[in-house]
Amino acid sequence: MSFYISTLLVYFFVDVLLAWALNLQFGWGGIPNFALIMFQAVGAYAAAVVSLGPDTGAGAFQRYVFGSDLPFPVPLLVATAAGGILALVVGMFALRRIRRDYQAAILLIVSLIAIQVVSNLVGLLNGSNGLTGVPKPLSGVLAGLTYDGYQWVYAAWAGLIALGVYLLVARLGGSAWGRALRAVRDNEDAAATIGLNPMGLRMQAFVIGGMIAGLSGGLLVDFLSAWSPAAWGYAETFAVFTAIILGGVGNNWGVVLGTLLVQVIFLQVPTFAPQVGYTGLIDALEWVLIGGLWLLCLAIRPRGLIPERRRTVAPPPGVAATLTPGPAAAAPSQGVSQ
Amino acid sequence: MPGAVLEVRDVSVRFGGVVAVRNTSLELREKEVVGLIGPNGAGKSSLLGALGGQLPVAGGQVWLGGHDITTAPPHRRARLGLARTFQLASTFDGLTVYENLLVSAAAARGSRLRDSLAGGRERRARLAAAADMTWSRLHEFGMAGAANRYGSELSGGQRRLVEIMRCLMQSPRVVLLDEPMVGVAPRLVQRIQEECARIRDSGVSIIIVEHALEVVQAVCDRVVVMASGAVVAQATYAEAMSSGAVREAYFA
Amino acid sequence: MLIIQAIGFGVITAALIAIGAMGFTVQFGLTNVLNISYAGAMTVGAFATFIAEELHLALVLGVLLAPLAAAAVTLVLGRTLFAFYARRGAGLFEMVMVTLAVNLILQFGIDAASHEQIYRFAFPQGASLHVGPFTFTVTQLALVAVAAGVFASLEFLLRRTRLGKALRAMAVEPRLARTCGIPTAKIVNVVWLLSGALAGLAGLAYVINALTIDASVGTNFLPLVLAAAILGKAGSTRGAVLAALALGVVTEEVAAVGGAAYSTVAGFGILAIVLLTRPAALAGQATGKVEVTV
Repeated sequence: MSFYISTLLVYFFVDVLLAWALNLQFGWGGIPNFALIMFQAVGAYAAAVVSLGPDTGAGAFQRYVFGSDLPFPVPLLVATAAGGILALVVGMFALRRIRRDYQAAILLIVSLIAIQVVSNLVGLLNGSNGLTGVPKPLSGVLAGLTYDGYQWVYAAWAGLIALGVYLLVARLGGSAWGRALRAVRDNEDAAATIGLNPMGLRMQAFVIGGMIAGLSGGLLVDFLSAWSPAAWGYAETFAVFTAIILGGVGNNWGVVLGTLLVQVIFLQVPTFAPQVGYTGLIDALEWVLIGGLWLLCLAIRPRGLIPERRRTVAPPPGVAATLTPGPAAAAPSQGVSQ
Repeated sequence: MPGAVLEVRDVSVRFGGVVAVRNTSLELREKEVVGLIGPNGAGKSSLLGALGGQLPVAGGQVWLGGHDITTAPPHRRARLGLARTFQLASTFDGLTVYENLLVSAAAARGSRLRDSLAGGRERRARLAAAADMTWSRLHEFGMAGAANRYGSELSGGQRRLVEIMRCLMQSPRVVLLDEPMVGVAPRLVQRIQEECARIRDSGVSIIIVEHALEVVQAVCDRVVVMASGAVVAQATYAEAMSSGAVREAYFA
Repeated sequence: MLIIQAIGFGVITAALIAIGAMGFTVQFGLTNVLNISYAGAMTVGAFATFIAEELHLALVLGVLLAPLAAAAVTLVLGRTLFAFYARRGAGLFEMVMVTLAVNLILQFGIDAASHEQIYRFAFPQGASLHVGPFTFTVTQLALVAVAAGVFASLEFLLRRTRLGKALRAMAVEPRLARTCGIPTAKIVNVVWLLSGALAGLAGLAYVINALTIDASVGTNFLPLVLAAAILGKAGSTRGAVLAALALGVVTEEVAAVGGAAYSTVAGFGILAIVLLTRPAALAGQATGKVEVTV
């Protein structure tokens, strides 16, 4: 039981990182990143290949590029960088001025194609079989721990990273940069007329989100010790979208709640239900339900359980004195009531 | 040209497969309000689009201050001192009125990522100054009470005011107003007219595209009359209205 | 001589893509709904024929079931779910997400029903024929013929019939079309049926060529179909066919020269290049919102 909970915790923190990344890109940046999971994947692969050591050539157990033996925590840094670099490349053609539906479709296609490429190019990342045997970080140093104990340490580590990323996204959200990003989201043309560079701001959000997603991949692969194309289909991206629409797009805490509800409870709990039908039936049906859940959320409560926060301010005393008493948000504005 | 804040030199604009503006030249001097008038389809909005950077220029040049902005993207023009409104009042609907203004403040143009992450004292001071400026504007325009409303929660007239305030927050040298009075109540029209005069007196030049001729007469120092993509007359309102060429353009 | 042969394969691939892209673009051009569940419809079509084969039904019947089943599914989706969200004011992007959710449901519903297996799809390929330097099977030539036939029929429909004219009018000015007495609702229904039928046909063609079938065939085929439709400009069947030809030949050439793994990338590379050089084609506009017509 303890093992199960520590595992869930790690998944939770990893998924929360993804949710914050998507919240930054989509919630505040307005970028419909249907390729989100691809950035987690590149981070996972990057962390894997730099800690697996060199592959032993053709005919080896598994074949992949690079291959070095970097110690913890370097693979995580590599994973983060990989996510950022991929975001830079993809962003260059996907973030131009483009209708959002086209943009979404293109990002979706990119992730579908990436899966096909990785699956077919066996020498790149060992194709559909993927990579296994990724060494668990600090397994030497922490050899004294039980398997269970190691899990808890890892969960704490994941939590620490999540805390760090939270501080980052919270700061970004409330900053002038975050405000500028949201302005671009709301009205790209008007934002340009006040001196904001829409492409630049979107790219920044996309790359930071990509880095966070890459980091989540590194964190996950170090835990799972394995990674393959099966782990990063478009359905996985869709699950994150569902988490954030349920929890609240644009709100850091909302997406945490959504991740808890969708990724943890909704997706994990059924795996403990008694076996119905054939093996794997539950998994397939879960995705059907995710689709249904998303449709329901859009119909009933599109802004989510904890919607984007209205950032209110209080007028300075000089100005406040001139206002008629009553809540600022509800009363008709002084002097202009058309 | 000395004293010219904005110069349009022989500019042509293609829009929707049609030549919307043809070899047009005009200039905007300091502290003046120029009205851009003419019948529908004359090319007024297209010209404004070319000045703002939303439409590409097919020929000619646009100069702002000493800078050639012919091919500059809109955000660069903004940083050089150009501000504009749109026919459909454009607010940032997901931001509060306060944020709408703050994000436009020239001083707080802290879209620099590095600044936002590791802001120093100087930056905080600039932001505080911008906040002050925002509150004074809101107070001036009587909208301090709406500071926490989302752009989407405002009425049409309020959005127009927010748009104009946003232009001012940029500390611009030139403001382009694209039919600002559309859908605005008469009392507010009066208000905006007065605002235009104040803006001009504070040293900012304005080009205003407007159909309501009473407004043009009240606000503009000069008018430029366009028809079928070309300038038909440049004169004071009175002179233009008594010109045969102008009457023909309007009623042909 | 693989490079020459690849042109032949390219034409076959182009035929597959063209059928799919034409169905997609006719619907997209009219309704502005970028329908990702088109992939699911393709899978439905393929499975309809597969099941018919497993039940030993007549081949012709089996083939007909593909477009029929897919058309039915698409019509139902269009009139229920898509119309529901469109009526509630869903914008272009929200509709994409709706169709993506639906695709998820379709794909994994079929996945569950098919026990997540990959099945062999045995379809009579016919004798081999030599046409110049190329070698085709009868079935492959039939696919090309079908694609050509679909194109000809669509051209006739769109340009010579009243329905087609009404459709083109609606695509350009939906509100005006409504007030002019054009039966817009009926035409939208026709378009769902048409799009679904072609999706089913495309899905079937795909698995005939691939010789295997599983729940992800539609999603696997979607990138090329979508790329062709987007490249060829929304609503233009001619554009779709030309784009399909380009994509088909390029992907087969790249496969012949560099290996199969790169072929889809090559196809997408074309799309990426177009995006980089002709962004205005897909740019949104500041004013003038494009509407969902459903």
